[in-house]
Amino acid sequence: MLNYLFRRLNLLLITALILSIIAFIISLWSDNALPDQDINLFMLYMDYMTNILQGQWGISLINQKSHMLNGLIAFSSTLELCLVALLTSMIIGIPLGIFAGIYRNGILDYTIMSIALIGLALPAFWLAIMLIMLPITFDLGLPIDGNISPIYDIPLITGFQLIDSLLASDLYNLAAFVDRLAHLILPSVVLSFFLTSEIIRLTRHSISLVMKSNYIKAANTKGLTVIQIVFRHVLKNALPPIIPQLRLQLNTIISIAMTVEIVFSAQGSGVWLLTSIKGGDYLALSAAVIIISGFILLSSIVIDILQIVISPTARKMLYADK
Amino acid sequence: MRFMLIFTTALILSGCYQSESSLKDSLIYCPESNAHSYNPQISHDISSLDATTHQLYNRLVKRDPTTYNYIPDLATRWVLSEDKLSYTFFLRKNVNFHQTDYFTPTRYFNADDVIFSLKRMLDQDHPFHAVNSGMNYYFFNHPFTHLITDILKIDDYTIKFILKKPDITLLDSLAAHYSVILSKEYSELLMASGTPEKIDFYPIGTGPYKFKRSNDAGITHYLNHAKFWGDKVSVNNLIFDVTKNNTKRYAKLLTGECDIIANPAPSQLKQMSKKSNILLSSEPTANILLWAFNSNKMPFNDKKIRHAFSKAVDQKNLLEAVFYQSASATNSLLNHQSWAYNRRSTDIQYEPLEALRTLQEIGYDFNSTITILTPVKNSLFNHSFHKIAELIQANLLKIGVKSDILFLTQTELEKRLISGDYDTYLTAVNGKINDPDSIFRPLLSCDSTVLEGNSSQWCSKEVQSLLNLALSESNFTTRIKNYYKLQKIIQEERVYFPIAHVLRMDAFNTNISGFLVDPFTGINFQHVKKTEAR
Repeated sequence: MLNYLFRRLNLLLITALILSIIAFIISLWSDNALPDQDINLFMLYMDYMTNILQGQWGISLINQKSHMLNGLIAFSSTLELCLVALLTSMIIGIPLGIFAGIYRNGILDYTIMSIALIGLALPAFWLAIMLIMLPITFDLGLPIDGNISPIYDIPLITGFQLIDSLLASDLYNLAAFVDRLAHLILPSVVLSFFLTSEIIRLTRHSISLVMKSNYIKAANTKGLTVIQIVFRHVLKNALPPIIPQLRLQLNTIISIAMTVEIVFSAQGSGVWLLTSIKGGDYLALSAAVIIISGFILLSSIVIDILQIVISPTARKMLYADK
Repeated sequence: MRFMLIFTTALILSGCYQSESSLKDSLIYCPESNAHSYNPQISHDISSLDATTHQLYNRLVKRDPTTYNYIPDLATRWVLSEDKLSYTFFLRKNVNFHQTDYFTPTRYFNADDVIFSLKRMLDQDHPFHAVNSGMNYYFFNHPFTHLITDILKIDDYTIKFILKKPDITLLDSLAAHYSVILSKEYSELLMASGTPEKIDFYPIGTGPYKFKRSNDAGITHYLNHAKFWGDKVSVNNLIFDVTKNNTKRYAKLLTGECDIIANPAPSQLKQMSKKSNILLSSEPTANILLWAFNSNKMPFNDKKIRHAFSKAVDQKNLLEAVFYQSASATNSLLNHQSWAYNRRSTDIQYEPLEALRTLQEIGYDFNSTITILTPVKNSLFNHSFHKIAELIQANLLKIGVKSDILFLTQTELEKRLISGDYDTYLTAVNGKINDPDSIFRPLLSCDSTVLEGNSSQWCSKEVQSLLNLALSESNFTTRIKNYYKLQKIIQEERVYFPIAHVLRMDAFNTNISGFLVDPFTGINFQHVKKTEAR
């Protein structure tokens, strides 16, 4: 176990090193002052890294705040969107995937999979633009712009506005929270279109694998109903393997979320990067590399480790691997 | 699983969402672009005026929105001297400046503030003259600059304007957006702290709303100015939420994320007018879309050619195709609401055959190609220069005249205009104050350069003397007569082909009432009311 942890952390360090070098190159290039011959690039890199570790990531040209603060606030908003979309699509996707998996190659399966395929094929930004038209075509009163209505003045505490608006409930009761939630609906619908399709496919695959196994056949012969089989035996065995596969989708989800945010002008990392680039503030790029890829790295490792801790099969694989 | 349940509940809870417009004490206005600064003395574009003039500041006098008479604002009354060379203004007492996080006034408004504010524009030695003035004051308010010898303080609540010569446009200038009154005390504080540039970005005025903050996402918050001298406003929070995309602006109006939106796209107007919960307001502006002929260059130095080209363009079709109902066709450079507008101006008829005949008679070279210059960037009022230019091109081709359209960026355009190497120029100009001189002088005066507006390179002694005469004339009837004569001349000479006056459009939900739009000084939220029902 310790050995495994060590190997994983080693991998993390190497990737982090490569990422930090990329961020360093971007920051060098954006400074427009490519060093002369006599300046030691290694020393510059060391300086850069000390600054990063001390939290001095430079000041934004656009709003005179620290890049780290801007980036973290923006990214937490993106993360919030991703999480809401993930949960929504899990609520929709997992049951659909289970149905498709149980009735594999039936009409229900084909219907669900066709819809899932459409969801996978639709470009997210296009779907977002279409959803913006909704209030014009139908009288749908969902907000389409921004994170939260400018009426609400939410103090910045955690950066996650859902939480912040709950904390500010003494000011606006639940109105601000509901408003933030309403602002999340349309962007997360777009995002969960893609995600739901992915979850349906994964669940279906995993369920149909389990359904073929002998213990399910045994349960069948025991005379259990389908519902009993699914809840007692199938779910427990089929769902855990989905989680690591979902992890692989993490970076896709975040990058799709960033385009969707731009369409809905939600103040997340997409809009932050776009305005920074438009404003010639390229240091934000290197901050974004550190924050976003750092998050993906860390979270994938945490998921890995958690899985080893939780799932016996994964642990077995680990030792067999050795 | 339990967490999922909570999450689902939260999602269902958001069904209780009520659109923002249900909050009565907050009003959201969605303009098209950001204010450049919060001081109309240095920023003259419509967005800046909307965000400042009526909301944050007061002027000495203002115009009644219906009768267009001058009515008191910070001055309670004024007297013109017998020799017509000086005006005395009596100021309002007990007027409070805004109290904000960054400034707390210790005294009421007085004559020092007036002199400080106006001299900032006029006096080059003024400590704030050079502050933030990337722009040249002269360019925008030269009628005012030429007008005044001095402004004297008689006592704390009386000031006297000394004029260079009798000139009746002083009141117009004082009612213009650039004559807003700033706080002298605040300026001294800023100067002492070494940050004078803040005066235009953290504004302090006497208007009905005070500035709270703005962010880089284009949202500006204003608060009700509790100690405002006039009628209290009924809206506590005024929010400007800049939304550049016009489809989105319209959608936000429908979802209630905006209460009022500026400049709906012309193509949306038809659909909007069908919706029962949306109202449209349209105001004529002094903005004019025109096609200038370079009178310095062959072949447009010939009056007949200019007339022939005007006849070849189908003005009515052009308006329908580009503006729908958001502009009115015109035959004059002046807004039809202007007191100087000559109602006997004849319309320009679309007669392509007649135009062709004239061109053939004169011996116009049909093998030559004329140039149509037009800016790449559309101005706030004119959504599509390129569409208009293409329609003109198609019209010209019908009578066999070949033309090239050149879309140029601002710097390229300026270079080209100064060089004089162009045949025609499609542009729009905007009157700054409600005086015909502010339209005519830039377009027609010999002293006006091509960048100031004289894109026809026009200079004639007759027109120049009429312009000068009209300005010094204090007899109103004679002044009108002069302008009528001037309009007749330019119509005969066909220096410009005036195409349309673009309307200023705003769309709003039916629960909003009482906002006013002044075509010269911007939108006014002082009397706006919001009711709950939609």
